[in-house]
Amino acid sequence: MAQSHDAEREPLPTAWRDAFAADGGTGADLAAVDWEATPLGPPAQWPQSLLTAVDILLSSRFSMWMAWGPRLTFLCNAAYRSNTLGRKYPWALGRPASEVWAEIWPDIGPRIDQVLTTGEATWDEALLLFLERSGYPEETYHTFSYSPLRDDDGAVVGMLCVVSEDTERVIGERRMSTLRDLGSDPSVVRTEEEMLAFAGRQLGRNREDLPFTLTYLFEGGTARLSGTTGIDAGHPAAPELLPLDGSGGVWPAEAAAGGEPVCVPLEGGAFAGLGTGAWPESPTQALVVPLLQQGRPPSGFLVAGLNRYRALDDGYRGFIELAAGYVGAGIGSARSYQAQQRRAEELAELDRAKTDFFSNISHEFRTPLTLIMGPVEELRSRLSDSDPRVRQELEAVHRNGLRLGRLVNTLLDFSRIEAGRMQARYEPVDLASVTAELASVFRSAIDKADLGFTVDCVPLRDPVHIDRGMWEKVVLNLLSNALKFTFDGGIRVAVREEDGLAVVTVADSGVGIPADEMPRLFERFHRITGARSRSHEGSGIGLALVQELVGLHGGTIAADSTEGEGTRFTIRLPFGTAHLPADTVADSPGVPTTSVTAAPYVQEALRWLPADDTAAGNEQGPDTFVAHEQGPDAEPEAVGVDAGPASPARVLVVDDNADMREYLTRLLHGAGHEVQPVGDGGQALEAVRRNLPDLIISDVMMPGMDGLSLLNALRTDPRTASVPVLLLSARAGQEASIEGLAAGADDYLVKPFAAAELLARVRANVELARLRTHHLRWRTALVESLQEAFFVCDEHGAVIEINAAFSDILGYGPEDLPFAPHHPWWPDPVTDPEAHQQVAEAFGSLLEDRHRSRTVPVTHRDGRRLWVSATYNGTQDPDTGRRMMVGTFRDVTAEHHAVQRESALASLSTRLSQAGTLPDTLAAALSELRGLWRAEHVLATVHGGGGEPYVTADGAPEGHLPDRDQEAMLAELLRQPLLNPVCGDTGAGIHLEHPDGPMALWIEFGDRRPFSAEDQLLLALLAGRLAQAMTRAHQIDQQRDTALALQRAILGPSRLPDGFAVRYEPATPPLEIGGDWYDIITLPDGRMGIVVGDCVGRGLEAATVMGQLRSACRALFLQDPSPARTLMALDQFAAGIPGANCTTVFCGVLDPRTGRLTYSSAGHPPGVLTFADGTTRLLDRGRSLPLAVRPGTERPEDECPIPARSTLLLYTDGLVERRRRSLDVGIDQAAEALRTGRGTPVEDLATHVMSRLAPSGGFEDDVALLIYRHPAPLEMAFPAESGQLAPVRNALRTWLTRCDLPARTAQDVLIAAGEACANAVEHGHRHSPGAPIRLRAEALTDGLRLTVADTGRWKPGDPAASPHRGRGIAIMKALMHHVTITPGPAGTTVDLHTRIP
Amino acid sequence: MPTPLLVTRGERPDGTPLLAVAGEIDMSNSDKLSEALVGTLGPLVLDLTAVDYLDSAGLNVLFAHVDRLELIATPLLEPVLTISGLARLTTVHSAQPDSTQPESVRADPVQD
Repeated sequence: MAQSHDAEREPLPTAWRDAFAADGGTGADLAAVDWEATPLGPPAQWPQSLLTAVDILLSSRFSMWMAWGPRLTFLCNAAYRSNTLGRKYPWALGRPASEVWAEIWPDIGPRIDQVLTTGEATWDEALLLFLERSGYPEETYHTFSYSPLRDDDGAVVGMLCVVSEDTERVIGERRMSTLRDLGSDPSVVRTEEEMLAFAGRQLGRNREDLPFTLTYLFEGGTARLSGTTGIDAGHPAAPELLPLDGSGGVWPAEAAAGGEPVCVPLEGGAFAGLGTGAWPESPTQALVVPLLQQGRPPSGFLVAGLNRYRALDDGYRGFIELAAGYVGAGIGSARSYQAQQRRAEELAELDRAKTDFFSNISHEFRTPLTLIMGPVEELRSRLSDSDPRVRQELEAVHRNGLRLGRLVNTLLDFSRIEAGRMQARYEPVDLASVTAELASVFRSAIDKADLGFTVDCVPLRDPVHIDRGMWEKVVLNLLSNALKFTFDGGIRVAVREEDGLAVVTVADSGVGIPADEMPRLFERFHRITGARSRSHEGSGIGLALVQELVGLHGGTIAADSTEGEGTRFTIRLPFGTAHLPADTVADSPGVPTTSVTAAPYVQEALRWLPADDTAAGNEQGPDTFVAHEQGPDAEPEAVGVDAGPASPARVLVVDDNADMREYLTRLLHGAGHEVQPVGDGGQALEAVRRNLPDLIISDVMMPGMDGLSLLNALRTDPRTASVPVLLLSARAGQEASIEGLAAGADDYLVKPFAAAELLARVRANVELARLRTHHLRWRTALVESLQEAFFVCDEHGAVIEINAAFSDILGYGPEDLPFAPHHPWWPDPVTDPEAHQQVAEAFGSLLEDRHRSRTVPVTHRDGRRLWVSATYNGTQDPDTGRRMMVGTFRDVTAEHHAVQRESALASLSTRLSQAGTLPDTLAAALSELRGLWRAEHVLATVHGGGGEPYVTADGAPEGHLPDRDQEAMLAELLRQPLLNPVCGDTGAGIHLEHPDGPMALWIEFGDRRPFSAEDQLLLALLAGRLAQAMTRAHQIDQQRDTALALQRAILGPSRLPDGFAVRYEPATPPLEIGGDWYDIITLPDGRMGIVVGDCVGRGLEAATVMGQLRSACRALFLQDPSPARTLMALDQFAAGIPGANCTTVFCGVLDPRTGRLTYSSAGHPPGVLTFADGTTRLLDRGRSLPLAVRPGTERPEDECPIPARSTLLLYTDGLVERRRRSLDVGIDQAAEALRTGRGTPVEDLATHVMSRLAPSGGFEDDVALLIYRHPAPLEMAFPAESGQLAPVRNALRTWLTRCDLPARTAQDVLIAAGEACANAVEHGHRHSPGAPIRLRAEALTDGLRLTVADTGRWKPGDPAASPHRGRGIAIMKALMHHVTITPGPAGTTVDLHTRIP
Repeated sequence: MPTPLLVTRGERPDGTPLLAVAGEIDMSNSDKLSEALVGTLGPLVLDLTAVDYLDSAGLNVLFAHVDRLELIATPLLEPVLTISGLARLTTVHSAQPDSTQPESVRADPVQD
């Protein structure tokens, strides 16, 4: 084989081209050099050492160049070309190295000299070289080694340079270092100036990439120079100011202001004498980049002079932009730092102003307060016996007067402390008893709150100097605070001495303080929002004041708290007086006075607690509206306002302040309304939901749920959305009322308000609401009366209104409104993606404002699948102009299921009608069921008589068997009545009758899914249909099986002798067996009987007749191998068989050795013989009547030689007979088909003839066909031993003789086959010794085909495997027309083909 | 069992040694041919007139001695000798397939 490969090659390349063969690309360019003109001379004459060096050079992927010879002629490889050489390629090839690298010769020349003279290699790392490879001197860095190259004699005659270029790395590190320094934490940089100086230092350190820089900052209409590096002050290119109006200037400031980088060529007088940076010459270009800030216009720009020895590529540009980015960000942060500082100062100023304001205004309050409280006190005592109503109101006035006074005093204390004008008198007291006494004041309130109260004050060894007034405020504030935030457990006050200090603790088990609030606990006006408390009232200054007061005593206060567990305040006071101003210290305790301060604290605290019957007689059960007639104080006239409302309304009053609650209740009662008072928003919401009032009056600021939250909750609930709400707030101002109205309040009233105004507003709102609800009620009644479900969607698709029918159909009620998409009734996208998709599409069209009608699947709240037919339309909300969707739908589930059932039945019937056999029918049904229910898989097990049940599945993996659970389920199914669906957890099944026995069918959904009654009905219907179809298919199957069994019995021998091909084709359609047959009988003398016959009629009857005739014919032939006598005997036999009359038969006897054929025909169509040359002869002699027509008559016989490589065709008339056409036409067609296919093996030829003659609709009559080609192929198998070669050759020689070949051809075939066999013997048995070699030889009309197959694995042309066989294969190829050697895993096959001349 | 092969030793009228071979030469018996050839020295005439099959195993033996061989062969062997290139390297005398051995050859069968 090697020979043949060589033959396909190009002529041998010449030696000089070979020198550069290691690399196709660079090698080709090297080859193109005119080497004759160089000192190296033509490559053909190069010494081996040079060739070796060049080969190493070219085959290396490392960057290399070399120089050789007296002038150091330059050669390089592909890597060097692309990495370093640039534009100098291929100019440089073959030139002296000193010319190639002239610009750096001063650098590298001495190094090369050193190598050449000393023979020692050099090494340089990251050496700066200015290469002119890109059209300009370029700053480059290289790490390289020069090593000597020696000629064949060992003398150094050249050098090899292995180089890696470091330019990118060196420059990249340099730039990265600058960026890193710029970005290093300038923690000391605070001002813009410091920032610019810092940046300037960092930029100035990179003189290579930034030979000079200028930093300009925008100021109004100009840009001011704010920093420079590498340039002299006062240089014309560095003006102090640049205009921004585009009127010119050295630098394009206006472009930079627009955020665009600009590259400026440095040409002209202004740019003379610029700084050169690290380089010998100054830059020729500068880049102007804006200093960008996040979200704001640029703050300035940076001018960067560019290194003239580097191109301004993306990397360089990116570096400068990043550097400018750092500078810009630094300026931005410096500016924002300054802004923050200014803001902090402003805030401190604001805080001071606020305190001043409160102090001033509080002071102004004291006079009117005094004038209120004095007369009130007097009235209280004077009217102590008057009617309870007057007394109550006076009490309320008194209590609130006290509270106001306390607030004012606290604010005044602050202003005194701030101003240092606090009048203090520190007297020595027994701190324990003073504190215990103060604490006891609170006992009643704490008891009433049902809390524990422990006062544990141990007398101290020394007195403590305190100001009694201040100390009272300290203790009372702390106790008040504790009571306010404690709902369970208790409060504890203790006094101890610790570490030489008096320690007072007030601890509670209240709600505690969140950790993140602790730092601001003592901050003035700071209130913890959202904490649960008894009252929302408070100014947020109590604890701040306490801290200030303790501080005045030279003490400290600390708090520790755990949320949900409690809070403890600890005060530490020093003994003695050293810490107090001398002039404020009294020597002896003053006269202890009953506390005046304490009363307001306690009074206020008591009002937080649940009122007892006497305190708040009107507050009854939460569900009760108290009608004015029923109230104990029902005296509307007493209110003195215009009472007598148009009609009494039910009003819910929501206020956390008990006084206010009572006041409003009284007022509204007086006006004839029913009132229900509650203490916060949460209670209000409950009350409203239970019993809808006509009007809600609510305070805005409340603990728990405040007024605005209540409003929001009411408005989002459709049931309460229309209840009118009147908000009350202490917060004045338009802003607050707008906030309230925007939140949906119907009216807004600011405290204080006049009683008359309140009542007027109440009446107006109630009447308006009644008017409004009249329309609403009418509309609601209309909507509710609809039989169809009704819904309204907003423009986002959220369902905001529904009616009762909607809830009935889907199970979702108005209490859950609104329903945002995807609505809860959408089918699950995971378990039912298809249905989900349908709904999603319908929903999409709904939002597109189209009038549409659709039927979609939905899921009832209980999981049931429903089908609804929806109609919807877009409209506009007349109030808001927003797009709304209004729609109705009705439940069409039943109709849908009916349609689905019909279509499922129709679909199944269609599938079943297409299935032919019983297994097909079952498979089709399972597939249909699986698709219908979108099941994971469907299983059917049939329990036939005995043995394992057999399983049919659809959708289950191949070979899937029911698991244990499924088996149990299937067994259980079979105990159910027939066609009675059963539902399991994740599937459903049914028991039905299969022709082979009971069948269990299981549909596995693979998930939990409802299997509705409709589904069960459908399954029963479909299973019934399937059972019918299976019975029918079973009958058809049985008929077919019988027919096929007969056909198999009828047709010829199971193993055909060599050389024959046969076909039997039943008539189509319908598939029907006829009476045609063929038979081949091997006779004892080696000859063969050949029979082709055709009985009259069709179907089983004809087949039966034919079977008998065939058997008879076979027996007769064996008895007497004469065609004529066989037919005559058959005449007698046929006469005795009904239906055998007129059977036509062709009978022949063939000698396969000689090709001699004797034949006789009983009325059968003539056989066709086609010779090797394509000529045809009909076997139309030896003819007589069909069988049993004239029994006893002599039959003729004829003899016909079948020459070598001719083909005989016998057939029945179905092949050639067509309606309205002469039989001769068909016979001619058959002969033509035989002729055109005569070059192919007989099997292929049989197929060819059948397909050529088959009518488009199939054969109308059945067809039997028999083809024989002479001689029959030779087939041999022999062991792989060389001694077998001669016998094989002899057999082949004999067979070749039968083929009637020219002597030369026969000899060629013999030798070629011999070589193939020898190959097989020599190599073939190597891998599986003892395995036989097979030889097959087949004659075609115009050629021979031989195959030699062994079990070895050898490759043609493998010299190691076959040192001598190369010659054998060459001989085969020369002698044969085609030789194909196919190595395969099971062995090697040699195919030989030759044409016969 | 190797294919039978008969080798007879003789001499041409001019005194050249001559080997006459009869039978079919294939890989089972090419060793025998090789031994017979190795047993001679100098120029040799190989008479293949009675050989009606010669495969590449036999040719390989002949190639090993081609420089000193002259061949006598019938036309039946001609294609093989030509295709293998042996005919170009040595002289091939044509013999008629049915002719008797060239005259004046003294038959001297070689025993295996």
